[in-house]
Amino acid sequence: MDDYANPWLHRLKWGYLLLVVLTLMTPVFYVMYVSFNANGFGANAYDFTWEWYRLVFSDELLLGALRWTLMLAVTVTVIAVPMALLAAKHYKATRNKLFPVFLLLAPLFVPPDILGSALLVFFKNLNLSLIWLGDQLGTSIFDSWFRLSFLTAVIGLIIYTIPYSFIVILITMGRYRPEQTEAARACGANGWRAFWDIEFPQIRPGVLSACAFTVILVFNEYTRTSLLKGGFDTFTTVLISQMLNTGMSPQSYAMSAMVSFVAIALIGSIILWTLIRAETLSRVARAKAEPVMS
Amino acid sequence: MATVTTNPVGRTRPADSPRESWSEKLGRWVFYLPLIFMVLFFAIPMAATVVFSVFERTMFWMEPGFTLFSYENFFFSARLTNFLDSMKYSLIAVAICFVLGFPIAVFVRKSIPQVAQHRVVLLFILPFMVSEIIRVFALRPVLQRNGLVNTTLQNLGLIDEPLTVLLYSHTGVVIGEVMSFLPFIVFSGFLAMEAVPKYIFEVCDDLGVGPWRRFCDVILPLAAPGIFAGSVFIFVNGLGVALLPNILGGPGAVNAGLIATQAITALDFPLAMAVSAIMMATLMTLLWIGHRLFDLTRILSPLS
Repeated sequence: MDDYANPWLHRLKWGYLLLVVLTLMTPVFYVMYVSFNANGFGANAYDFTWEWYRLVFSDELLLGALRWTLMLAVTVTVIAVPMALLAAKHYKATRNKLFPVFLLLAPLFVPPDILGSALLVFFKNLNLSLIWLGDQLGTSIFDSWFRLSFLTAVIGLIIYTIPYSFIVILITMGRYRPEQTEAARACGANGWRAFWDIEFPQIRPGVLSACAFTVILVFNEYTRTSLLKGGFDTFTTVLISQMLNTGMSPQSYAMSAMVSFVAIALIGSIILWTLIRAETLSRVARAKAEPVMS
Repeated sequence: MATVTTNPVGRTRPADSPRESWSEKLGRWVFYLPLIFMVLFFAIPMAATVVFSVFERTMFWMEPGFTLFSYENFFFSARLTNFLDSMKYSLIAVAICFVLGFPIAVFVRKSIPQVAQHRVVLLFILPFMVSEIIRVFALRPVLQRNGLVNTTLQNLGLIDEPLTVLLYSHTGVVIGEVMSFLPFIVFSGFLAMEAVPKYIFEVCDDLGVGPWRRFCDVILPLAAPGIFAGSVFIFVNGLGVALLPNILGGPGAVNAGLIATQAITALDFPLAMAVSAIMMATLMTLLWIGHRLFDLTRILSPLS
């Protein structure tokens, strides 16, 4: 029984799929709805207002947190995505695939609190032993290497985001034909030129979506960041500490709604962009193919 | 500088460059950089949890020594019961996710044209991209006494009294787990269904096999590695994500992640490390069993 024999069954399955997506999104939409209510959550009357958003943007603490978050996101992306690219190239070339697959995908399976606390204790011990080593040698240059700081947060977040970038880049690399690299090498290009001029343009969409993934993951991450950060706050940690300590204020609804808006806009524009790009590319390809066809 | 390195034994080089230049040598080593990084800052810290868990607790930190006190603290207290309980509810969440999510993966692979499949799966990334904590926190106003679900059900006349089991209970935690982790079974199922060619469905139709037998005898064995990976992911995260029981759970809803974070707040670092070591042991055992049964590297084989 195929789907064309019974179109209603097909539509029913589509309906179920969309219903599941909608259900998963319900809490987010509900928060957005509440965030525009002047009376806050649970009130009988609903008055539309921008007031809570204005309050968010006049808060010095939040703006500072936003700056830290952006810095963290950019740093992690700049380091993690090239590393994932290298790892994917290595995975393609190597014969023993089990070890790299295990190392690069295992962080996916380690829950955030476990990874965060293990790294926290590891860094603290490492820091103490480096200080001890420095005392023995009579220098103090090792003292602040692994003190909880921006660096430790960056390391923790790189470990968290590398698996995602790795998978995304590997998926796009699957469509690349390695014969092209061989052809480039045969024409006298060195390894770097063959990669940069031939392979990279073809896997660029994957690299770009890995970047977008990483930025959004870092932006949204709470547990690892809050355990490993030094003396600074990110957007999410401010938000969560407000939620956990003082309960949900209308302002925190506005903040979470805003984060959701940004993420959805980013993902939506990526999807639209790839759609438009695929459309243009196929039109160009068709235009090129036509004279040959006729 | 270019001539200091010698030709490695057993490696053939093109005739015009008998010796590797330093940049080529560096270029070969640079591919090991991510692996070295992961070993240094992921594998070693994870293995070190076992070592740190037997250290002795001091007032604010710990000191080297050997004591099994923190394991005793875990295994002979209410923590063990809570841990086993959270395993049970995590398994329930895995089952619900599988029943709700895997048919979607099959449907996308079977009935949607090849070019559109990835875009449909991208739809499930959309909720997953909004911070997990915000989604979980947003479940509170939805499931509360006067929240969305209860008011809707009351307005429809289905219930008279608001349901109170939805939040601050084990049910709440399971709902939270399903809402947070459902996309993952769709993704891993989608990857797993790569191993099931489309003609299989036609062959089954031709041989007159019903959908139930087709699912049990054909799809399930072929897609097993991906399903297993997705299930392990959901199970372990159900055990380890502290925020779910913290935000949605009631009395007794404590999982391993929450025990670890509470131990860190109480400055009992050896206990936190013991919990981490136990979690890592659970995870490694599960992955090892899975690898023995289905060879988990097969998940990525369609990509390479």
